[in-house]
Amino acid sequence: MKGLAPLFLGIFGTFAFSWVGLTVIPNWQIGHLNPQSDEEGTDIYPQPQSGMFERGARVYAANGCIYCHSQQVRADYAAADIERKWGNRRSAPRDYIFEQPVFLGKMRMGQDIANIGARAPAEQASPAPAGAAAPAASPSGGTSPAASPAPQGAAVSSPPPPANSPATAPATSPASPAPKTPTSPAPAAAPASPSPAAATAANASPNASPTSAAGAPWPVQTAGEPPMYSAAWHHVHLYSPRSINGDSNMPSYRFLYEKRRIRDARSADALQLTGSDAPPEGWEVVPSFDAKCLVAYLMALNQSHPLNDVRLVGGAPAAPVPAAGSPAPASPAPPK
Amino acid sequence: MNATGIPLKEPEVSAVAGDTEQLERAYIDASTRVPVLMFYTSSIAWLILGTLLAGFVSWKLHSPDLLSDISFLTWGRVRPAHMNVMVYGWASMAGMGTAIWLMARLCRTVLRYPLLLVAGACFWNLGVLLGVGGILLGDSTGYQWLEFPGYAAIILFVAYTLVASWAVLMFRYRRGDQIYITQWYLLGAFLWFPWLYSAGQLMLFVVPVQGVLQSAVGWWYANNLLFLWFGAIALGTAYYMIPKVIGRPVYSYHLATIGFWSYALFSSWTGMQRLVDGPFPAWMITASIAATILTMIPVATVGLNHHMTMQGYFPLMRYSPTLRFTVFGAMSYTVFSVIGVLISLRSVARYVNFTQASIAYSHLGLYAFFTMVIFGSMYYIVPRLIGREWRYASLIKLHFWASAYGIGLMTLMLLAGGFLQGVDMQNPTLAFSESIETTLPYLRGRSLAGILLTASHFIFAYHFGLMLLGLGRTSTVPTFLNPVEAEASGGH
Repeated sequence: MKGLAPLFLGIFGTFAFSWVGLTVIPNWQIGHLNPQSDEEGTDIYPQPQSGMFERGARVYAANGCIYCHSQQVRADYAAADIERKWGNRRSAPRDYIFEQPVFLGKMRMGQDIANIGARAPAEQASPAPAGAAAPAASPSGGTSPAASPAPQGAAVSSPPPPANSPATAPATSPASPAPKTPTSPAPAAAPASPSPAAATAANASPNASPTSAAGAPWPVQTAGEPPMYSAAWHHVHLYSPRSINGDSNMPSYRFLYEKRRIRDARSADALQLTGSDAPPEGWEVVPSFDAKCLVAYLMALNQSHPLNDVRLVGGAPAAPVPAAGSPAPASPAPPK
Repeated sequence: MNATGIPLKEPEVSAVAGDTEQLERAYIDASTRVPVLMFYTSSIAWLILGTLLAGFVSWKLHSPDLLSDISFLTWGRVRPAHMNVMVYGWASMAGMGTAIWLMARLCRTVLRYPLLLVAGACFWNLGVLLGVGGILLGDSTGYQWLEFPGYAAIILFVAYTLVASWAVLMFRYRRGDQIYITQWYLLGAFLWFPWLYSAGQLMLFVVPVQGVLQSAVGWWYANNLLFLWFGAIALGTAYYMIPKVIGRPVYSYHLATIGFWSYALFSSWTGMQRLVDGPFPAWMITASIAATILTMIPVATVGLNHHMTMQGYFPLMRYSPTLRFTVFGAMSYTVFSVIGVLISLRSVARYVNFTQASIAYSHLGLYAFFTMVIFGSMYYIVPRLIGREWRYASLIKLHFWASAYGIGLMTLMLLAGGFLQGVDMQNPTLAFSESIETTLPYLRGRSLAGILLTASHFIFAYHFGLMLLGLGRTSTVPTFLNPVEAEASGGH
């Protein structure tokens, strides 16, 4: 080859071709999506997330969760993701428009967690937009206005209002009403889980209960531990994964927790640890702020809201209700 | 000449070259000495660090409690640290070292402005150091191969600008009209990298694109870095080393042209195939799958070209370390691409997506292909910089076999383990944890392969250290892997 100019132009041209083709045109096509809403302009999905969510995402990035966990559900014709209860529909670009960074992930040494927030026990399931700890920040609780707007997002921190109804939560988990019994005095139940309160709210909303009760599309485990995928469960799981699942090869993230002496009374958010992980008498293990943010982030991962772009899995074998698991499409919007 | 008619002498001597030309070459080589050795020495230091990190990562995968209570040693931080040390510390620096030497040789002029390169090497090291430190302290950005936090990325970019501007200046001083094949690839690599890097940084961090497009940009960047930066350097190096060592011109110039342009055109469109069935418009993924299949064209032409050049000269691999490593790397390029095509087909990708198989793919590209070619070039270049020959043929052989078996075993383990993992994952009647259980034996096998690779890298670093200390052999004959005299003594 002679002459520098054709070489240079060719090198530049091939690169520009690929850059335009694989980044600029897609950006033009799906780079400016808006949330969807119904005709009245309510039921907006997705919604911007809270500050705790964003910080949680940074903790997620910093500790490399993405190298083992994906956050994308593949369509039912392509993969068993939906049969595995990782979601009730495939993920779509619109699900991620408020996320920065986006953690689609490329590896599943652990489960897909695109819907881990939706898989929490019904009382805690945060409707997609509800950022944790900022109940006020989730106006009219995005997905299910009827279903308890306020306390839901508070999965992590806000102490629940006194649980006046021990709520035989029609919900799924036998353990849910008071997962924290051991130490806490009665009404201040469940530091890390606002479950009773939320359950009340859920009860109050006739719309919500059927799904949460019958639904149980997500696994619910028992045996003395906090209900599966609740905030309390996440903390115990992050602290000591093998205390929950002996086969797990997830590393523990104890450096996100602080072991300290109990001062006056046991802290509200102390972890429920058993066996060899339990701190000695007079000590407790409490989550750091980063850990709380991380759990708030996880609890807010929820793509169960129907999207017009994507059909829900109607006939997926195990899905009990057509709109399986979507937290109570309270509005008359037809589940589709 | 020996029975096979193969020139076993030092190829440069056997080349029809006047004394002046040889002197000129020696002069050029001497002028590259300081910058190239700087790049090489740093890269080998990073290689050792990256290897240790890799061992740690690999081990923790089946023994998750190992040192997991220390925040900066948690798996999710050590793994990106390992990847980035290897990508930016080892591979990029070693590749630049080789590219600089090749540039000087092929421009047929003494290296000018060495200070640009020295400063570039220093800044690059600083950038990698800060970046890896940042990752370990929890500043990772979370994008594959772009984990370095902003402060490190800026420094890397400055360092790169210094090196690239040197390359452009060198081109202006070049003698002769002809631009050899190697230079096409090197010029491409030197230009593609900054565009890629700045496009990635801009679209992810400065003016971030929305939602899933970030992942698209991330994978577009990562795959193009693999092909247009590392792949281009390695192919260019192979185009120089193979003909040089066997003392024979490249088989076909036209094939090389087709190979180069089809490579630039098609491989740059890959990347999205690694997101098969993800939340993207289907055309993006299909376009990348099609491009991946079309990369068979450059693979076929480049492979054919190298093969025809080597035709009849394969026995030389018994003797020349450079040739042995380079040919291994060039063949791995074919394997890497074929496997890339296989795992990108939708029906297969469904199984291997989200499994260890994609790690196998990266290692095939970055190690079996790129790193082996670069090892080969180092065996050729370092003696010419230092004026001594490699001390022990046995160490070179050990290095080669440990590397070859190590990477072979690792690839097999990860591919097999990944495929079985995917099959289990696609079977919803099995608990998810079963799919992980299935991979564990393979991950242990991978750790074993890692031990082999670790050994090979330590051997190489030791040998290189001896060379640096001036403890190489003083001889006019390069170090052959097997004694040549016995077989070839009849000839000359």
